[in-house]
Amino acid sequence: MSMTERILYWISIVALIAALIGVKADISKLEQKLQEVTQAASEGGEEE
Amino acid sequence: MNPKIERLIYLGVIAVLSLALLALGKKEIELRKQIPITAQELYEKLGNPKVTIQIIDVRPYEVSEEEEDEADEIDYYTGAHIPGAIPLPDCDESKAPEEALKHINPYLPTVIVSKDGDPEIFKKCAEKFTIVQNLQGGMEAWDEEGYPEDEGEYEPPAAGGGGGCL
Repeated sequence: MSMTERILYWISIVALIAALIGVKADISKLEQKLQEVTQAASEGGEEE
Repeated sequence: MNPKIERLIYLGVIAVLSLALLALGKKEIELRKQIPITAQELYEKLGNPKVTIQIIDVRPYEVSEEEEDEADEIDYYTGAHIPGAIPLPDCDESKAPEEALKHINPYLPTVIVSKDGDPEIFKKCAEKFTIVQNLQGGMEAWDEEGYPEDEGEYEPPAAGGGGGCL
């Protein structure tokens, strides 16, 4: 296996790991937002 | 190490990472469906020409002449709608104008607009689109914020027109 091929594989792996970290961060934000929305909705329901 | 085995290891790692990314992507889409978008967020997104977003309006398309005096403008599509919104009353293709049906793309990020952000109609409609969010407070919230509105019949976008609705 040539060095070029090896480097290309590594670039793909690093890009995929970066994408995974990005998506994971997005999911954490969304989960937090969902929790806030759910909490606000339940508080609104209790007031009614 | 045998080059074939080394290549297989690299490909295996890439396959596992791709599958994990796919699973997380699906989870993200599901989460987004559960979080409504506010009128302000939608307004900001529409003002950004880099963001492609489809607005589906599920309110009745028009009201009869008898009902027109009693109905509020935001009760129906021809009375007032978000610029660029595509009418799909009750999320039922049979009730939508033929011209509008041609412009509905189920794979575009979509925002569902009802009169008051009704979660029931959103649930019904969400099944038809891949990436979809509900407009919190619906057309009432958009109108209260004083954001731009159009009125009248659905007008398909002009051929070659640029992106961005506002």
